[in-house]
Amino acid sequence: MDVNSNALIRVIDLEKHYGSLHALDGITTEINKGEVVVVIGPSGSGKSTFLRSLNLLEEPTNGHVIFEGNDITDKKVNINYHRQKMGMVFQHFNLFPHMTILNNMTLAPIKLLKKSKAEAEEKAMSLLKRVGLEDRAKAYPAQLSGGQKQRVAIVRSLCMDPDVMLFDEPTSALDPEMVGEVLDVMRDLARDGMTMVVVTHEMGFAREAVTRVVFMDGGKMIEENTPDEFFKNPKSDRLKEFLSKVI
Amino acid sequence: MSWSDFCSKFQTDFIEKGRWLQLANGLLMTIEIAIGAVILGIAIGFVIAVVRSTYDKNSKGIHNSSDRVTIGSVILWIANVICKFYLTLLRGMPIMVFVLITYFIIFANYDVSPVLIAVFAFGINSGAYVAEIMRAGIMSIDEGQFEAGRSLGLNYVQTMTYIIAPQAFKNVLPALLNEFITLLKETSVVGYIGMNDLTRAAILIKSDTYDAFLPLIVIAIIYIILVILLTKLVSILERRLRVSGR
Repeated sequence: MDVNSNALIRVIDLEKHYGSLHALDGITTEINKGEVVVVIGPSGSGKSTFLRSLNLLEEPTNGHVIFEGNDITDKKVNINYHRQKMGMVFQHFNLFPHMTILNNMTLAPIKLLKKSKAEAEEKAMSLLKRVGLEDRAKAYPAQLSGGQKQRVAIVRSLCMDPDVMLFDEPTSALDPEMVGEVLDVMRDLARDGMTMVVVTHEMGFAREAVTRVVFMDGGKMIEENTPDEFFKNPKSDRLKEFLSKVI
Repeated sequence: MSWSDFCSKFQTDFIEKGRWLQLANGLLMTIEIAIGAVILGIAIGFVIAVVRSTYDKNSKGIHNSSDRVTIGSVILWIANVICKFYLTLLRGMPIMVFVLITYFIIFANYDVSPVLIAVFAFGINSGAYVAEIMRAGIMSIDEGQFEAGRSLGLNYVQTMTYIIAPQAFKNVLPALLNEFITLLKETSVVGYIGMNDLTRAAILIKSDTYDAFLPLIVIAIIYIILVILLTKLVSILERRLRVSGR
């Protein structure tokens, strides 16, 4: 198998079975450095499973995920090491409620990157500043709004200096008026050249901030294209039908 | 009972021949055994809870990323069976019976201090209950917490230690307190293996002075005060942990 391609992540024949259900049915794709890929599709199409397979939160039944030249589906690979380079943002934020915002952000850098407390906090503060939350550093997650929580979750991942950021429906659990502030942070990140894979229902985000849009259904990637082509000239009937419902 | 009656009984029961010292020493022994057993119980309970909840999570087959080696899952299965066997055994028999078995069978031919034997018996027994309380605590934490920890690159043990266990512990404190109260009071059976704990001290005074009333009422009050203090201690701890406002 060729693992020398330039792609940051290569996905080869990925399959995931839950009993008789094929959540992922043979997915092959590449994600290049600096790309922002949005995955859309109806619920149950396997898009979240696909995303979660990229850092092996979901262990694929078959197939390979090659990350930075390493086959991380190989059982001998230290997955914890590679996950440090793959940030993930969840629908329900998953901040640690028993820690302050600052401690949420510095835990992994201190324990895994062996940074000093001062060093980790300095980085965390500068990231908090970037998302306009430096005054909440000593607060606990319960004291934050949904939008603030998600912004913290994003910068918590950034504290590890990841090479790719995975977003699993980052705005789906938010009140409508808070969606914007989270998308702003994500756009900002995309502009800075971060490689991103985003599962979302935000068609606005998919149109503007993105290099490629992928449509999934039934565990397969049905169609992928640049946002312009994707929305103007959908080729498959299923995508046309899907777009007619959501737009 | 008249006031002068009461005073003279009090005199014979507690002051005469320094009998109050028996109670004081008994109290000390009760506390020693209880504290030792609580610590041992928590240690055993935590390990078992982690094994059992790890097994539960992995056998669901949905979030099986934490255990990718089949050798590991076999070991986990065996560990889980051992833990379940332990739980069935210890929860199945009365603590009294287990104390007797420990003293007269397990340690029959060893010269071990009786306090250690009691700590061992009560700790092993309490561990079984603590294990299930802590397992409930671990299972009550949202799976997302676990995934967030793992996605940052923390390994299973680190995620458990820094993220899951502190939250689980906070959630189960009231149930743990219950268990500790039960444990403290159950130590009153150690008199059967010849140890002079608080209850035994009262019985000895009673047989010396032929007065049952005062010694028994006094130790009842002492037990109640101990439980009140323990409750107070845990509620202070609980308030400290609740700072995070959840």
